[in-house]
Amino acid sequence: MPQTLTEERIDAPLGKIQVFRAGSGDPLVYLHSAGGEPTNPALEDLADSFAVMVPVFPGFGESEGIDEIDDMEDAVFHLLDVWELLGLDAPIVVGLSLGGWTAMELATRYPERVGKMVLVNPVGIHIDGQPIAEMFGRTPAELAEMLFADQSHPIAQAMHAMSEFTGDVGRQVEIPIEIVLPMWKAISATAKLGWDPYLHNPKLRGRLRRITAPTLVVAGAQDGLVPPVYAETFAAEIPNARLVVIDGAAHWLPFEKPEELAELVREFSRT
Amino acid sequence: MRFFSFHLMPYIGLDPAYEGSAWVTCPNSLFDPEHGGELYNRYLGELLYAEELGFDGVCVNEHHQNAYGNMPSPNLIASILARQTETIRIAVVGNALPLYDPPTRVAEEFAMIDVISGGRLIAGMVVGGGPEYYSFSVNPAHARERFQEAHDLITKAWTTSGPFEWVSKHYRIRYVNPWPRPIQQPHPEIWIPGAGSIETMEFVARHRYAYMGIPYFHLDVFKRYFSMFRDACEAEGYEADPLQAGWLVPIYVSETDEQARREYEEHLWYFVKRLLPGITIQPPGYTSVRSLASILKSAGTFMLNVETWDQIVDGRYAIVGSPETVTQQLVDALSALGTGNLLGLFQLGSLPDHLTRKNMALFADQVIPKLRAEFPQGKPVYRPQAAVA
Repeated sequence: MPQTLTEERIDAPLGKIQVFRAGSGDPLVYLHSAGGEPTNPALEDLADSFAVMVPVFPGFGESEGIDEIDDMEDAVFHLLDVWELLGLDAPIVVGLSLGGWTAMELATRYPERVGKMVLVNPVGIHIDGQPIAEMFGRTPAELAEMLFADQSHPIAQAMHAMSEFTGDVGRQVEIPIEIVLPMWKAISATAKLGWDPYLHNPKLRGRLRRITAPTLVVAGAQDGLVPPVYAETFAAEIPNARLVVIDGAAHWLPFEKPEELAELVREFSRT
Repeated sequence: MRFFSFHLMPYIGLDPAYEGSAWVTCPNSLFDPEHGGELYNRYLGELLYAEELGFDGVCVNEHHQNAYGNMPSPNLIASILARQTETIRIAVVGNALPLYDPPTRVAEEFAMIDVISGGRLIAGMVVGGGPEYYSFSVNPAHARERFQEAHDLITKAWTTSGPFEWVSKHYRIRYVNPWPRPIQQPHPEIWIPGAGSIETMEFVARHRYAYMGIPYFHLDVFKRYFSMFRDACEAEGYEADPLQAGWLVPIYVSETDEQARREYEEHLWYFVKRLLPGITIQPPGYTSVRSLASILKSAGTFMLNVETWDQIVDGRYAIVGSPETVTQQLVDALSALGTGNLLGLFQLGSLPDHLTRKNMALFADQVIPKLRAEFPQGKPVYRPQAAVA
């Protein structure tokens, strides 16, 4: 039975952060994407097998502390704090996009703190001639095209509707702040980590060899943001990794193919 | 009232087949260097003409990788003006401080212009437009911090004997000791352009600098901004001096209202439809939560959303008409805004040289004297009854 995640606030050294959780069993930590999503249908599904925890990163949602974070180094130290506060030793870590990158930054530095790792459409490295598409300065409709294979998905539809508010590039109309603010906060916090270098750490690729956690790389075949060679490279260069490509999913795979992802994670956790 | 002639140095003759943004990604193959060189020299002539006509000053500004304004280095243009003019104030509005690393470069170049011009520089400092952050890759989430630190460093470099060591989050310099130093003491007049960010107004009020309203909004937006600025000065315990505020607006004067529209309209639409698209691209992290609400409130009135001539006239996006009409509209607007500096864009869009010069000459001859009489130096400009009208 899918379970709804419920919110808690915990005092982290950088400020109060939101943690969404549900279920019991082995701990599974989800690191969200640049969208700052505090849950997704795959997690609600997984909550019947795991103790699912989603620590919302500083600057996203209502989590505090982004002023103290300038780069991935700071992000990793924050995660170490979160691990301690949640009593985690070496959980399964599932990361989407930016969250996958963050997971790898932790797993290269502190391999013993990540039990198993599932990277969904991860970013974090740069491959010459295969740029990650521009995510900043996009209208919600343009983002929807990158995030969803099927534009009739309800979230994609909502993003297209939002573009009715914001109009085309270079045009703006009056937009209610309650619609803009969460998106604006998420993209601003992402910029701190991924504006320059753009969504990568030049040092990460050379450090992938240090990851000890068995790793599953999951890629959406229609991802409009990250070219397929990224997932292939991660799967090839992380020592104990394999790749699964899911058709009919783009960048926000946990929203488009939640059952498939949940089943893959369950199966991977048992091996 | 002080009168400034502001030039953007736009690219005229953008390929009609090109329909995209004029900013960041507008292909530079569309820039014809021969034609570009002619434009620079034509525009320099228009700036020099302002001195001949008795303007108080000229303004140049900084933008990168776009067709809207071809002054990636306003300091280069200002240095030519420093040498080729005698009396006029030269306002660089401004240098985008976060893009200069180390920012002591700004302290040096501004001091050079000030020294060469005999102390006529107005030093503008700006966070930089949204598109510049895409063109430079400087992290916009650090824009405000970098601006603040760079400002503190530059003003310290001008007012403190060097060498000294500078250590802040974004800049570390072992020996700060710029040669030359500015003539104007303790430092040149400082102007800060802003687009409604509350933090910027508070910063300007705290330092008693001058706040320049970034243009292309409905007049009501400027009324709100300059009222917020007056409040910010009041919160610092003083009444804002009119010279602490400036309004930048496109102006076109001709013999009659009808002739003005006939001569001007197509050039204005070239500006709105070809050169403005892309200017509003928002980099993430560039605006605070507090300011976001204020800025969003005005977004709907931005000139890009204007479709008709009547909207241009009613919203005072441009002041266009006979000398009488222009004078009257400016008296009303300036009384409502309370700004003691009027920054006119006399060349806009594709407006050709001969009409730009005619416009400037008519303005200098038939409008400036009346406005000087209406708003004598040292007297208040703001008239509360005009603001509610």
